Amino acid sequence: MAWRNAIRQKQFAMLNILGLSIGIATCFIIGLYIHSEMTYDRFHEKGDRIYRVNQPDIWGDWNDISANTGPNVATALRTDAPDFEAITRIFNTGAQVVRTNEQNEVNIYNEGQYYAAEENFFDVFSFKFSQGDPHSVLKEPRSMVVTKEKAYQYFGETDPMGKTVEVKDWEGKWQTYTVRGVLEEVPYKSHIQFDVLVSLSSFSDRLNVHGWKWIWTAFSTYGLVKEGTDIQALTSKLQEIPPKWAPPTTERIFNQKFEEFTKGHQWTLYLQPLKEIYRSSTPNFNTFGPAGNPMYVKIFGAIGVLVLLLSSINFMNLSTARSSKRAKEIGVRKVLGSKRRGLIKQFVLESILFVLIGTILALVLVQISLGTFNAITDVQLELLYYLSNPLFIGIVVVFILILGVLSGSYPAFYLSMFRPVETLKGKISNRFRGKGIRNGLVVFQFTISIALVICTLFVQKQLSYTASMDIGFKKDNILQIHNIDQIGFDTEILKTKLESNPAFSKVGKSFGLPPNIWTGDRYKALGAKNDVVQLRNVRAEGDYLDVLGLKFIAGRNFDASRTNDKYKVVLNEEAVKMLGWGNQEDYKADNPVGKIVALASGDEDEFEVIGVVKDFNFNSVKQEIGPLVIIHHQNDKVWDYGAGLSYYSMRLNTDVLGSPNDLQEVIDTVREEIAQVDPAVPFEYSFMDQDFENTFIAEQQMGNVLNIFTTLALIIACLGLFGLTAFSAEQRVKELGIRKVLGAKVSELVLLFSSEFTKLIVISVILSTPIAYFLVDDWLANFAYRTSIDLWVFAVASCSAIIITVLTVSFQAIKLASTNPIESLRTE
Amino acid sequence: MLLKLNNLSKWVQSGGQKVFLLKDISFWVNEGDFISIMGPSGSGKSTLLNVIGMLDDFNEGEYAFLDERVHNLKEKHRANLYKQYIGFVFQSYHLIDELTVKENLEMPLLYKKHGSSERKALVADMLDRFNIVGKKDLFPAQLSGGQQQLVGIARALIANPKLILADEPTGNLNSKQGEEIMDIFTQLNKEGVTIIQVTHSEKNMTYGSRVINLLDGSIV
Repeated sequence: MAWRNAIRQKQFAMLNILGLSIGIATCFIIGLYIHSEMTYDRFHEKGDRIYRVNQPDIWGDWNDISANTGPNVATALRTDAPDFEAITRIFNTGAQVVRTNEQNEVNIYNEGQYYAAEENFFDVFSFKFSQGDPHSVLKEPRSMVVTKEKAYQYFGETDPMGKTVEVKDWEGKWQTYTVRGVLEEVPYKSHIQFDVLVSLSSFSDRLNVHGWKWIWTAFSTYGLVKEGTDIQALTSKLQEIPPKWAPPTTERIFNQKFEEFTKGHQWTLYLQPLKEIYRSSTPNFNTFGPAGNPMYVKIFGAIGVLVLLLSSINFMNLSTARSSKRAKEIGVRKVLGSKRRGLIKQFVLESILFVLIGTILALVLVQISLGTFNAITDVQLELLYYLSNPLFIGIVVVFILILGVLSGSYPAFYLSMFRPVETLKGKISNRFRGKGIRNGLVVFQFTISIALVICTLFVQKQLSYTASMDIGFKKDNILQIHNIDQIGFDTEILKTKLESNPAFSKVGKSFGLPPNIWTGDRYKALGAKNDVVQLRNVRAEGDYLDVLGLKFIAGRNFDASRTNDKYKVVLNEEAVKMLGWGNQEDYKADNPVGKIVALASGDEDEFEVIGVVKDFNFNSVKQEIGPLVIIHHQNDKVWDYGAGLSYYSMRLNTDVLGSPNDLQEVIDTVREEIAQVDPAVPFEYSFMDQDFENTFIAEQQMGNVLNIFTTLALIIACLGLFGLTAFSAEQRVKELGIRKVLGAKVSELVLLFSSEFTKLIVISVILSTPIAYFLVDDWLANFAYRTSIDLWVFAVASCSAIIITVLTVSFQAIKLASTNPIESLRTE
Repeated sequence: MLLKLNNLSKWVQSGGQKVFLLKDISFWVNEGDFISIMGPSGSGKSTLLNVIGMLDDFNEGEYAFLDERVHNLKEKHRANLYKQYIGFVFQSYHLIDELTVKENLEMPLLYKKHGSSERKALVADMLDRFNIVGKKDLFPAQLSGGQQQLVGIARALIANPKLILADEPTGNLNSKQGEEIMDIFTQLNKEGVTIIQVTHSEKNMTYGSRVINLLDGSIV
């Protein structure tokens, strides 16, 4: 019977099911996404007992929590915390160059996901091995574990076990490593992602000799607690460890007492459960793999619920609207002795049938669109995997029942309340009381849709604003060649070659690239009682500052012809301010040029300031401009001299480069030139504007997803409105017929009919504006540089909403107004 | 002469065959006439009334209204013509449920772009004339059938038409209410309003001055 009703009311059924399917499909996709985000790192057998040890960010804001610890946090825990069954460390070596020599063919790989782990790493974590013994693979120095994929890349079809590769160490020497284990693959849903793991014991000399045991924060420390450990008690016990073990390090490196170093902050050790690592936003530095974004989980979760709500509302709305048409049927049934309960049952069954069809259709939709969604959002969601999961099926069934009963019960109860005599007389259809509620629901739908549209517009506006904002230098047309450090320290031969290329107007070397300048150190202005401040630093030659085109507001750039310059520094305005030398206006009276900056560690080497550059964004424009010290590239008094990655950056001469082909040719030339200097250097390049853009990938993805969902919400709302107008048209056909006979023009009737709905949309516009304003304002607060919240965006969104409404409504309105009134007024 | 039909025919195609709704209808109406159209169900009475009221098209023949050749007129012009000269009364009143009596009366005036004060005066006149001042703020559902039809007639009259077309005006009323309505029609006719009514009832027919009998779309 329910089925027959569905077939009978084709248009109604189609609208209803389509809207519902879109809503359910959206909810499913979002549900899959959230479920995926919430269930990272579930494959470790001892997962519930694994905790990561976090501590304050001792190199920056002590209030920030960092997942990076010094190497000796682990050794201290081993001594002082017997509650741990095992402690293991993973060490971020930075990208490494791997050389293979197979069948006389030498290949060079630059490995980004290359870390060193302690020998008990695989006792704590359960990664699946295809070859090798997990408990001993990382025991010997210079042992290596690779993924199957990597093994194939290195050695092809031959058995990788026992094979050797060479890895360039930090002094440029090739070290031989032996493959002792092969992993199946690192699961996608793991917060630690690697292609290559080597044994930490390979670095034992550095671990033991290095005096920076508590501040060399390139490690993550994980602990496996014993069964039944009271984590709270353990955590509070851990707090005794840093004050006990760290003081020798701070005293030796910084000449500071522990309390002085922490500046009154507590050096807390936090235990973070493995399951929470990925999904929580703190600590936001997680150097071994991906991190989730709880904000997106929240935003998308809210959108999923809203879209589902919208489509359920549609469903109820269309059902109640339509029900008046069926009032007569109910009247007849009642007269024939049908009980109220029977009627309710019929309506609810009908509703469940609709939801069931909608859900099946939604599952098909999800399967079809998941590929696109994965591509846009860079996730790997899979529906079929869940379809075999009885829990998932259970949830879907419960969902169908709940939504079906909920959506069906209102019209069911409402309709079955009709008094048969009235319905037979046709009274109900004229003065249908559900109208107020229905209008309220339409307003609710459009309020949400319009608010979403406004938010979407602002997300796009913010993205284009940050892409085009003035960041203090021209980031376009800068080509950057990576891995220059692997050529060696002296690269003048390469530079001369590059400079002779007419495609480059300027060439300069640097040891870091905006927007990724993260290195920093502790400095102070020379003088007895000056505060130690944390400043970012980057090594560069003078030419690099010219490649960027930085503006000097005081002093001068490094001069390659003056050998004295190598112990000089250039500051940005912010650094001058932090060092306590005032703003630009103060420079006339008290010029920072000629003053001395000292490193606040080691021998407290002193450097003279020769210039101040105007502030520029050397990090993503998500952040404010920080203080920056630019160190001469040959300054051998700073500890990282001779280490670290270096780059050549070239400003492209756009007069010479006409087409993209020209650019490709230039890049190929550079590739050859580098190969001539040293064929073992992997060739990599990038463009600075793209690097800046990439810092907004997450926002861009969110923007894309938001676009899709907003469109869906609008479509659902419009479907609902369309259905409702169709219904209203049917109801008012007589009234409009009368009006027409009495002399109303078609245009007057269209206006009369549309205005009722337009009014609702105008109310929605009014309601949505403050909601959207609040949300946008809240979101923009995450950014250091914000686009203005302009009125015109609201106006555009509102106007488009009204236009869409008018289009949706006028279709029915015109059809209706053009009907010959005698059709509608014919007396039966 | 108010209007004249000449060899007017209307048909629909049904299975390749013409089915005549009206066939070769010719008659004329003078100002001040009170005409009753009679005939069994399906004889084309209402169709004829709709054609006269310009709500419906015809396929063949001529129709002149106040010397305007209706069959040659454009839709808009035709609408203006009936808006100005014709008032309709329906068997089931066709009042708008959401509007009060007063507002129902006012509606035709709105579509003729009368000024607000003029509308008020005309509505007040009508309420007065039909003795329904006390009911002016009630909704149609709160009135009896007879009262509703009274409002229907008042609404038809308010724009001061020359011709009133009434489709079974007493069909939904009891005999006493029906008599009252017919008395009002007689009174209006005496005042110079031309009336064409469609009716089943022999009794109502006697109120008219002329009778047109229809059978299967033709005058007999």
